[in-house]
Amino acid sequence: MTQPSRMIEIVNLNKWFDQFHVLKDINLTVRDGEKFVICGPSGSGKSTLIRCINQLEHHQEGSIIVDGLEVEKKGKNQRLIRSRIGMVFQSFNLFPHLTVLENCTLTPILGLHMPRAEAEETAMLHLARVGIAEQAKKYPLQLSGGQQQRVAIARALTVKPKIMLFDEPTSALDPEMIKEVLNVIVELAADGMTMICVTHEMGFAREVADKVIFMDQGEIVEADAPEAFFANPTYDRSAAFLSHIL
Amino acid sequence: MAQQTQVFVPQPDRPPPPDTSGPLAWIRRNLFRDIPNTLMTFVGAYIIFTVVTAIVNWALIDAVWQAETRRECLDAVGRAGACWPGVAAWFENLIYGLYPKDQVWRINLGFLALVVWMVPLWLPKVASKIAIGLSAVMLYPFLASYFFLGGEKGIIWTALIAAGLAGLIWVWATALTEMRTGKPVGTWLVARLGQADTDEILQRRIKQGAALALFAMAFLMVTQISFEEVRTRFWGGLFLTLVISGIGITFSLPAGILLALGRRSKMPVISTLCTLFIELFRSVPLITILFMFNTMLPLFMPAGTEVNQLVRAIVAVCLFAAAYMAEVIRGGLQAIPSGQYEAAKSLGMNYWQTTSQVVLPQALKIMIPTIVGNFIGLFKDTTLVSIIGLFDLMNMARAVGEDTDWLGLFIEPFFVVTLIYFVFCFAMSSYSINLEKKLAAGRDRT
Repeated sequence: MTQPSRMIEIVNLNKWFDQFHVLKDINLTVRDGEKFVICGPSGSGKSTLIRCINQLEHHQEGSIIVDGLEVEKKGKNQRLIRSRIGMVFQSFNLFPHLTVLENCTLTPILGLHMPRAEAEETAMLHLARVGIAEQAKKYPLQLSGGQQQRVAIARALTVKPKIMLFDEPTSALDPEMIKEVLNVIVELAADGMTMICVTHEMGFAREVADKVIFMDQGEIVEADAPEAFFANPTYDRSAAFLSHIL
Repeated sequence: MAQQTQVFVPQPDRPPPPDTSGPLAWIRRNLFRDIPNTLMTFVGAYIIFTVVTAIVNWALIDAVWQAETRRECLDAVGRAGACWPGVAAWFENLIYGLYPKDQVWRINLGFLALVVWMVPLWLPKVASKIAIGLSAVMLYPFLASYFFLGGEKGIIWTALIAAGLAGLIWVWATALTEMRTGKPVGTWLVARLGQADTDEILQRRIKQGAALALFAMAFLMVTQISFEEVRTRFWGGLFLTLVISGIGITFSLPAGILLALGRRSKMPVISTLCTLFIELFRSVPLITILFMFNTMLPLFMPAGTEVNQLVRAIVAVCLFAAAYMAEVIRGGLQAIPSGQYEAAKSLGMNYWQTTSQVVLPQALKIMIPTIVGNFIGLFKDTTLVSIIGLFDLMNMARAVGEDTDWLGLFIEPFFVVTLIYFVFCFAMSSYSINLEKKLAAGRDRT
């Protein structure tokens, strides 16, 4: 059996913020349909790593190849790659001046030149998928945090991405709402979406992840299947981290 | 032993204690809370009473309403009462300046055209409000300038006026069809011709044809009208104030937006140029800029070319207003969290899409009070054009007291001018509050 194609391939990635070396020699391969969970203490470079993948941050050394396209600082590839990646942020980043539906139709109409009726129809499908279709006419700030994050997921899906990046999607949520957002992500994973998720929800990692990556001080310390990672971490650093959050 | 869980029943809401809500409670709390508070209320009421009665006595009760000269007023009541006949005699000049009396209807018609143009913006069910607003900004000036200026018109000038007229007709056609059928007039026409289901190219051709026919009709109409020329040195009064501030306001917003975006640009040349422009014009008083444009600009122009004095004043006001507006807009842009840009980027939106769809709508909404504050400031600042000899409303008011019949009559015309300024500025202010409330949706949890 042939292995699925490589969706994301990161080779020797290095990045500095000014003098500060945030990412050190990162190597990572994500195949089509794989789900990775990245965890680690704050400041370890987890968010920076996934933000480099769709070029919200620019790296200085090494290469990132997404779906066969080399990530560049400028040019045509950047927009092509962004249109293949959906991103969900910790702070939702919905557009507060637009309704939920308009949030989801904006890019399809502007970027993909879809007719409004068609864009609204697909947007409603995605909103129904995250269980929020009945709130389509409301403004984001009228919704709860969990609902807003589900809208953000639906919005990211409207550009028909092949890869989803989640940057701590549940960290800004009340405990009662974390579950509803995670359920949506789990369903998405079950549909075969390739995804990288920065999160500390270890139950979720156990359930969904093909691989758990532990980062500290800009390096990938461990990358292992969840069972192995949780049962016996190789390094003392990961063990100490796990003992704090489990 | 496992404990039995109980059903949690929340308490029902109770009304607030009496005496804490309603008008009576408000009066007691704010006006008569204790002895010093009550004393202050009476002192305040006394002051208000004295001021108001003094003004009413001067302006109405002791005022003179019939007189030929100021001398007659002074003989009748001295300085105790206002002398209104002087203001009445000059009233038309206060409003229209020295515009020929038999042509004044053109000014009225010009402003009426603007009102007619804007009315659809307040009608319900009219969807193309942005297009209508834009057309008013882009096309109305051509129409109005011919109404006000008149005179010879070449072919290009005629075409521009025709575009203005066609724009006005299109606005109302669209407003009417959208109210009756919900479709803009072009789409409505296509549907009436039974072409609603044909391909888009044919539909576009029909719309283009109709637009061309409308323009041709307007062109023919414009060639039939001819107004005698009224040189701008006869312009004055409230009319001139409205022209200068109207152009300044309309220009300053888009120019300010571009300058603010330019200043924040990552391209060093653009950013430096914009910053230089903004800082230069903000560091110099408007009077100085007006003087510069009025006296020094002609020195730099090639010999023989003469730029109209009013145009020079308007250009100075526009540039000054744009620099100020740019900083207001920049403040609004800075209030937009970086997450908004990141979300737009991650969705694959480019710079102009992000700016026009995500950033500016939010930034402008936040800055409405300050933007309108700037508009009001600009409206009042136009009084400074009197310095370079233009007879705006303020300068016209001063001219009353220099008339031999009404020598020294200053307070009354200034009082009237104050009222006029107040009406306009208060209207702008109220409109901005109204706009804020209307746009508040989405910012508040409701």
